[in-house]
Amino acid sequence: MTTNIEKSVPRRDLPAKLTGEAKYAADIQLPGMLVGKILRSPHPHAKIVSVDTSRAESMNGVYAVVTPFDVPKGNIAPDLPILDTEVRFVGDEVAAVAAEDEDIAQEALSRIAVEYEALPFVTDMEKALEPDAPPVHEGGNLVGGDPITLERGNVSEGFAEADVILEDTFRTPSHSGAALEPRAAVASWEGYALTVWKSTRGAHADRLMLSIALGVDLENVRVIGVNMGAGYGNKDETRLSVLAAILARRAGRPVKIEATREEEFVAGRHRHATITTVKMGVKNDGTVTAVHATTIMDTGAYLSSGPGVVRRAGQGALYLYRCPNVRYDGHLTYTNTPSGGSYRALGAPQGHFALEIIADRAAEAVGMGPVEFRLKNHVGPEGQPGERITPRNEIMDTQPVEGGVPFSSNGLRECIEKGAEAFGWDEELPQTDDPIWRGKGMAIFIYRGGAGGRSIARMCLERDGVLRLESGVMDVGEGSYTVLTQIAAEALGIDYGVLQTTFGDSATTPDSPITAGSTVTFSAGLAVEKAGAGLRQKILAAGSDALGHPISELDLNDGGVIHTSGSSVSFAELASHTGGLVEEASVSPGSTDYIVNSFGAHFAEVEVNTDTGQVRVVRYVAAHDSGRILNPMLAVNQVEGGVSQMLGFTLSEEMLTDHNSGATLNANFLEHKSPTILEYPDIQVIFADVVDPVGPYGAKALGEPPSIGVAPAVANAIRDAVGIEVRDLPATPDRILDLLAEKEEAEDS
Amino acid sequence: MTPFEILTPSTLQEAHSILVEKSGNASIFAGGTDMLGEIKQGTSSPGFIVNMGNLEGLRGIEERKGETAFGSMVTLSRIARDSDTAARSPGFVQAVESVATPQIRNAGTLGGNLCQRPRCWYYRSAAFDCLKKGGDTCFAVDGGNKYHAILGADRCHIVHPSDTAVALMALDAQVEIFGEGGLRRIPVAELFVGPGEDVLSETSLGVGDILTRVAIPHPGHGAGSIYLKAKERQAYDFALVSVGGYMEVVDGVVEEARIVLGGVAPVPYFSLAASDALHGVVAGHVDPTAIGKLAVEGAIPMSDNGYKVRLASNLVARAVRTLLDLPG
Repeated sequence: MTTNIEKSVPRRDLPAKLTGEAKYAADIQLPGMLVGKILRSPHPHAKIVSVDTSRAESMNGVYAVVTPFDVPKGNIAPDLPILDTEVRFVGDEVAAVAAEDEDIAQEALSRIAVEYEALPFVTDMEKALEPDAPPVHEGGNLVGGDPITLERGNVSEGFAEADVILEDTFRTPSHSGAALEPRAAVASWEGYALTVWKSTRGAHADRLMLSIALGVDLENVRVIGVNMGAGYGNKDETRLSVLAAILARRAGRPVKIEATREEEFVAGRHRHATITTVKMGVKNDGTVTAVHATTIMDTGAYLSSGPGVVRRAGQGALYLYRCPNVRYDGHLTYTNTPSGGSYRALGAPQGHFALEIIADRAAEAVGMGPVEFRLKNHVGPEGQPGERITPRNEIMDTQPVEGGVPFSSNGLRECIEKGAEAFGWDEELPQTDDPIWRGKGMAIFIYRGGAGGRSIARMCLERDGVLRLESGVMDVGEGSYTVLTQIAAEALGIDYGVLQTTFGDSATTPDSPITAGSTVTFSAGLAVEKAGAGLRQKILAAGSDALGHPISELDLNDGGVIHTSGSSVSFAELASHTGGLVEEASVSPGSTDYIVNSFGAHFAEVEVNTDTGQVRVVRYVAAHDSGRILNPMLAVNQVEGGVSQMLGFTLSEEMLTDHNSGATLNANFLEHKSPTILEYPDIQVIFADVVDPVGPYGAKALGEPPSIGVAPAVANAIRDAVGIEVRDLPATPDRILDLLAEKEEAEDS
Repeated sequence: MTPFEILTPSTLQEAHSILVEKSGNASIFAGGTDMLGEIKQGTSSPGFIVNMGNLEGLRGIEERKGETAFGSMVTLSRIARDSDTAARSPGFVQAVESVATPQIRNAGTLGGNLCQRPRCWYYRSAAFDCLKKGGDTCFAVDGGNKYHAILGADRCHIVHPSDTAVALMALDAQVEIFGEGGLRRIPVAELFVGPGEDVLSETSLGVGDILTRVAIPHPGHGAGSIYLKAKERQAYDFALVSVGGYMEVVDGVVEEARIVLGGVAPVPYFSLAASDALHGVVAGHVDPTAIGKLAVEGAIPMSDNGYKVRLASNLVARAVRTLLDLPG
């Protein structure tokens, strides 16, 4: 009965996307629909004293205006009101208009007169933490007033045991996902009922947010998650859909707001810039005795998911290497810059970047190779040393601090060994001629394994005999609709192609968490599996009644229920007999006995041109333990996508702020240097042979892990090639040339 | 974006008259790849766009005595396909092929590439009223200046963005301009002006002037040319630094040499020191590293662009090595 999994069934959304039939939020057209545009702050920090909209409102074709002074009181997030009389970054929302077309809306914006009272501002995260720094929000810039501190054992004791201590500080930039589709939403009211079509990673979560922010009963809000042109972890979190809803209410007509490319860069959400110091103690035999990481993380003007991200930045330091004494301090700070937010693997790539470079140096310091050092020290299936603190009957956190709890599965060793073999780690690199120098590098990583919030799935035998899966999750482009349908078909015992599905519409699907944290396959998958198994039993019971045979002699095929004798009853007949069958399953994913985590090892070969400072990644091997791979083609896509995306983070992409004005300097595809296809190497993807006992059909998380190991693997390869220490990302030609110059000066003196 | 009217003259004289009549409020539309971006960004808001698409004779590549003349409306893709040009002036074709993306090269013209406006992010952003837009500040001085000038800046620190300009200067090309009094011809180097001369424009073209042709002299005996461009990604990128090199080597001696740098100065930067140091030297005795250092003599880097000194020096050395077939 394993016909639907470990199988590269084609994506369900493929035909519509290939033919252009697929609708995205910006494609939605409603009768009488207006265009909404947002007025944005030219100041990094200011009080809005007054807003005069009279010259905009008097224009022909302008139907609604909203300002901080007439907006309903409500919050999108605790520190993000619908509109505020204080603006906190260049590009922050000030007001919005709805007009007949874009030109009129744009002209109307230019006619809104805003009086600002400029306030002191801070764009640098370290300066923001100084005592006299201007506060971005009341209460100061260090979020929560204190850093988060997580410790297992005692690092002072651990460092005292060490023969060698390595320590250094690393910086990563603010990094935009640069999704092909900018944010967009359409809002329409019928009486008290609001419908929003939106590019989103959570129709149900957005429904709740809109209900709370606008003070509208939940039952009167419907969010339809249309196709998504990539999210990489965000696309909600901003004010865009709430403003569309308010404008539509005022105008009495539907309103669409679509971000421009510049707005997507500036007012979207980004990977947080970080400064991370890692200190690692090792004995001469290579044993790690202590790890202490400290991260300062820039959340920008608003909190968004910052607290979760700063915690995740420490997961590697706390858990990747077997060690009794580890500590992580995370300082999340506000600045007057564009807001950070959820972005693929949250803080894990930043944390691992620092950790895995230090690990390479530690290996070198004790005379071990990078692979050898990791094989000796990586956390094993038994987990970390120490005592379990979580009560035995509670589900284990997927990013714990405590030791004493084994993993449900841990294929990290297999990833290192298989990856090293496929890469040819022990072989000499091919010779190159000056100015091209080759090097190789590797990095390993750990990531929470997919257990997310409570998930509900519904499966039905409908009145006409159609079998349907209903799930509230969103496919953010990764293919979750396809994988969940595979799981549903497998649990039901029919072929994938027979199932009909409904996804992502809050009115027609059961409540679901957002597509985040690599949780969909695991968490939603468990609910789908359970619903499928339940519906199978109900159908078999109905078949048993209809055929007069015991369930033990019955099975399902793609047409209905069959008896061992060959007699059968169709799904349509069963539906008609029973009036339809429904099974809804709800699960709290995770395990009381195990930590569920995913793992991987990445290997990169680079060429560094010492004339130009250009780094090319010429070969890449990505080995992953994500449990059983339910759809190999999608899984390979996922890894290739994650690696490619983070090669941009590693080598070329960053959001640049003008520190005198707070303005973003490069909010466009020319100067936010997203790689082109020419930059990408061949990527070989390997999966460890692991079947997880907790996940659906043995699967674990895969969405985010591919993005974690890229930067440190490449940085370690650059070091191997030309002997320079990349501490700041991206490793652009200017930085490489400066490091080469420093190295020459050091050698000369 | 402000509305504009499109005018499509059918003769150069008519185009010239329109430009004079609408003085200051009309822009020439060739390929439009830069101009439309400027209008959308609000950097430029002409009331009239003068479309050159119907003008005869500006889309050809013409062989003349001792030179090849390229119409200013010839697309970059067309030049890249021209095998005679590739054989005669490889540096020029290398520069053409390094521009942006295939889509932009299909639409973008040679004239437009020479007359494009700078990429400085302060100039391009509506949020900054910089010197080049009539303001009184160069925001790059105390701001983000990673991509800015290390040589020849005068209050304004832009770098000239054109790849073809650098190659054409190395090849000693001339340009023809139709304007008041008919056609005139100047060395391509005289087409460009730095901010010290005119901070609002990068060219010497006056009101009503239309760039019509670019003439590249046929290469001399023993000639070679090259264009090297360092960028942050392999497509869709302007030069961090580029080098156009031309040399004639006769009987093992460098008889003629021109080294021009892009991405370092507000104009394509002809390095007299590097070029002179090559003249009359036995090819085998040339020290490329020393030539590279000469090329950046006098550079004054800012906070973020010190790397350009090393990069330019390295690229010049590489160009010299390649042209003279020297080891290393």
